[in-house]
Amino acid sequence: MSTDAFTDRLSEYLDDDLRPEERRKVAAHLAQCNGCRATLDELRRVVSEAKALTDSAPASDLWSAVAARIEPAGQFHMRISPFRRAISSRLSFTLPQLAAAGLALMVLSGGLVWMARSGDPRADFQPVSAQVDTDPALIPAHFADRHYDEAIADLQGTLDAERSKLDPETVRVLEKNLAAIDQAIDQCRRALQADPSNVYLNTHFAEARQRKLVLLRRATGLATTGG
Amino acid sequence: MEALALRCAPVLGTADMTDDVARAAAGDVSAFERVYQAHLPRVHSLVRRMTGGRDADEVTQDVFVRVWQKLGSFRGDAAFSTWLHRLAVNVVIERFRAETTRRRRLREGDDVFDTIAAPVRSRDLSLDLETALTTLPDGAREIFVLHDVEGYKHREIASLLGISTGTSKAQLHRARMMLRRQLGRGGSAYEH
Repeated sequence: MSTDAFTDRLSEYLDDDLRPEERRKVAAHLAQCNGCRATLDELRRVVSEAKALTDSAPASDLWSAVAARIEPAGQFHMRISPFRRAISSRLSFTLPQLAAAGLALMVLSGGLVWMARSGDPRADFQPVSAQVDTDPALIPAHFADRHYDEAIADLQGTLDAERSKLDPETVRVLEKNLAAIDQAIDQCRRALQADPSNVYLNTHFAEARQRKLVLLRRATGLATTGG
Repeated sequence: MEALALRCAPVLGTADMTDDVARAAAGDVSAFERVYQAHLPRVHSLVRRMTGGRDADEVTQDVFVRVWQKLGSFRGDAAFSTWLHRLAVNVVIERFRAETTRRRRLREGDDVFDTIAAPVRSRDLSLDLETALTTLPDGAREIFVLHDVEGYKHREIASLLGISTGTSKAQLHRARMMLRRQLGRGGSAYEH
């Protein structure tokens, strides 16, 4: 066996992963080869350092982005968090995703409002009470929620101020989707005036408002981080 | 998975954490945020090392979203940290596979273990191990992290990655040899 062939077995020797006969051969070679002994010591130090690595948290907050992706339907909480924290989250959507989301929302809104107005029995479920989290850091979203309106106004103002930093195509898609969401919200609001206890409409209204908040947060994050 | 369980054990196991996992599984977002905070350094470090830092934040987000979606299937047969760790590894591997498939379409016939190595820095510079890891090719780095950092066995790695144990051993040795050089320890008079 050549020296290179012995070198290739050093990791297995180090890990005690050789058959006894092979191990004896490598050991015999090591006894008379300074180069292989030095290499083995260096490999041993690499392994030792790997086992001693310590864990560290990421430099930026990731929770905002995770939370935006896991918010359970029917258990809508609106976390009013400092704006700077929200925009520090990583953006993870694409223009086609935005376009698809907007289109889907528009179609769903129209369908649900139509069902609710046409007396479709599937829309005639009993209203369910919202699950209210008792965590004081979480503020349940109500339909006339001052905090929500303030957050939307804050985000919208920032987006308007930073709009020039975004790619024109991105702006076009964002505006199209915001318009679609606003249309859905408006449809729900008008339908709810006629049927305030309709659970479909209430849920969809809350989800549409949440979607607008998430989209604005991501858009302002994109703008303020340079697009 | 004995070695893995040992490495995971210090980060969890408290009654509070067990309670938070149960509450999170029932849909409690606040409890899930506490679970997330407790495990974030462990998961992010694993992801960062396995990916070489590329998209580590995004992949970490994917891991926790997957955890949220799968929490209902966690039955407590293993430690939660072990379950979470395995799930995180699977998310990273799925991403590697998707990237590899895409690369294969572009570079049919290339050795997938040789792709996307970061530029190798001068041997005159001694790097710390975390930095040196980013210079390894994807496959070699993935196997080094799983084996030498996380304590997986070659047979487990082979099963996870769909390769032979021989390939796993060869790539591990290759990674160690490259790291040895990157760490400035390959320039001795004895180098082969």
